[in-house]
Amino acid sequence: MIWQLDLLILTLVVLCAVATVSVKDLLSSAIIFGTYSFLMCLLWTEMAAVDVAFTEAAVGAGVSTVLFFAAVFRTTRLLKFRPAGRRLAKVLGLAAALGLGGMLFVAEGDFPAWSDPNSPASTHLSPYYLTQTLHDTAVPNVVTSVLADYRGFDTMFETAVIFVAGLAVVALLRRREETGPPELYQVGAGYEDTIIRFIARKMAPFMQLFALYVVAHGHHSPGGGFQGGVILGASFILLAIAFDFRFVFSKMGERANILFGNLGVLIYAGIGFLCLLLGANFLDYSILEKILPATDAVMARSHAMLGVEIGVAIAVMAICISIYLHLASHGRMDKGL
Amino acid sequence: MIDILTVGLVSLGLFSFFSTTVGLLRLPDFYCRMHAAGKGDVFSSVCMLLGFAVYLLHHPTLEMVLTSLKILAISVFIFLASPTATHAIVDAGHASGVMPWLKEKKEEEAP
Repeated sequence: MIWQLDLLILTLVVLCAVATVSVKDLLSSAIIFGTYSFLMCLLWTEMAAVDVAFTEAAVGAGVSTVLFFAAVFRTTRLLKFRPAGRRLAKVLGLAAALGLGGMLFVAEGDFPAWSDPNSPASTHLSPYYLTQTLHDTAVPNVVTSVLADYRGFDTMFETAVIFVAGLAVVALLRRREETGPPELYQVGAGYEDTIIRFIARKMAPFMQLFALYVVAHGHHSPGGGFQGGVILGASFILLAIAFDFRFVFSKMGERANILFGNLGVLIYAGIGFLCLLLGANFLDYSILEKILPATDAVMARSHAMLGVEIGVAIAVMAICISIYLHLASHGRMDKGL
Repeated sequence: MIDILTVGLVSLGLFSFFSTTVGLLRLPDFYCRMHAAGKGDVFSSVCMLLGFAVYLLHHPTLEMVLTSLKILAISVFIFLASPTATHAIVDAGHASGVMPWLKEKKEEEAP
């Protein structure tokens, strides 16, 4: 921790947060929010939480900014001014925010110092993970093994939450009929550009290759299912922006996409149930050595983690694509932004 | 030798980042600013990344060379993606009718 760098980043984070809520143009607000996410990513990198930083860079600064753009373009860009007579609500809101913030500041004094070796968190559970992970699971990256093995139940429902969020977007926005609200913004209608299309088409396979590397190499380096899935989804979103929806659907149909979302969650839960069938606890991977050839109990956990990460990546990819396509086309799936 | 190369490349990158920022703030209109941002950003990022890649060759073990190659891959990606993004922004500005700055002000020009 370099405190000067921390101070600089935290100042910029606060500035970005204030600017995000005070800017009247929602598109600018989305851009500043992307900057905010990127600064948080820097902060986490600096605190040596590289996996979290990777996720923040991929999800927060990358895909969610694009999703905000799509939502802003399909709804309204300028924040309407509230009519007068809301003064009481504003004062109450400010008082609530200040009160909560003050309480947090008071409580902050009771926290242990950052990376304090004598704090309760680093004396009970963390030493076990740090010392035993390699012995238990043969996975050098402790974050991956905690995420996918020791706390696999937690991660399974995180994946399920993402899947349910995607289903909610589909259920709310998808519509079959042609008539809908008029197009508010005809940005890029019929827009074709050779340079952008060429670069996007050449870049997408390399992005997908990198995403597979991130998923498969998550055992040894930062990364894993969530980050790899978001990058996979981002490659399709890039194609949807540079080309149109028909091009994306020729690569990955809408129905296939939803099926992939289901399949991802099913792979995760299926591995859990497989353990149950073989007579161990749910998601207790070490029993899988009975059906995986040429493994012992330790390597079975490592391989099962890879399977689980693949499931997460497939689900996250499908949901990213699905949310973007629905937001950008107002649920009509005809053309993009 | 490696040190001199690293320091040279990174200082060149930092200097050109500085000039990019000055250009972004001081140039008169949208197109000139995108010119500064597009060219300067790519050049300085690639310079600094090359500097880091060279610095890693201090200990030419397999891991270090691989990391160095990964940094080179990042710089190739920036070299392709960033000018394309600049092109897209300038094109969008042109399509939505942003007028370029001219030395002699014309009457019909928007302020």
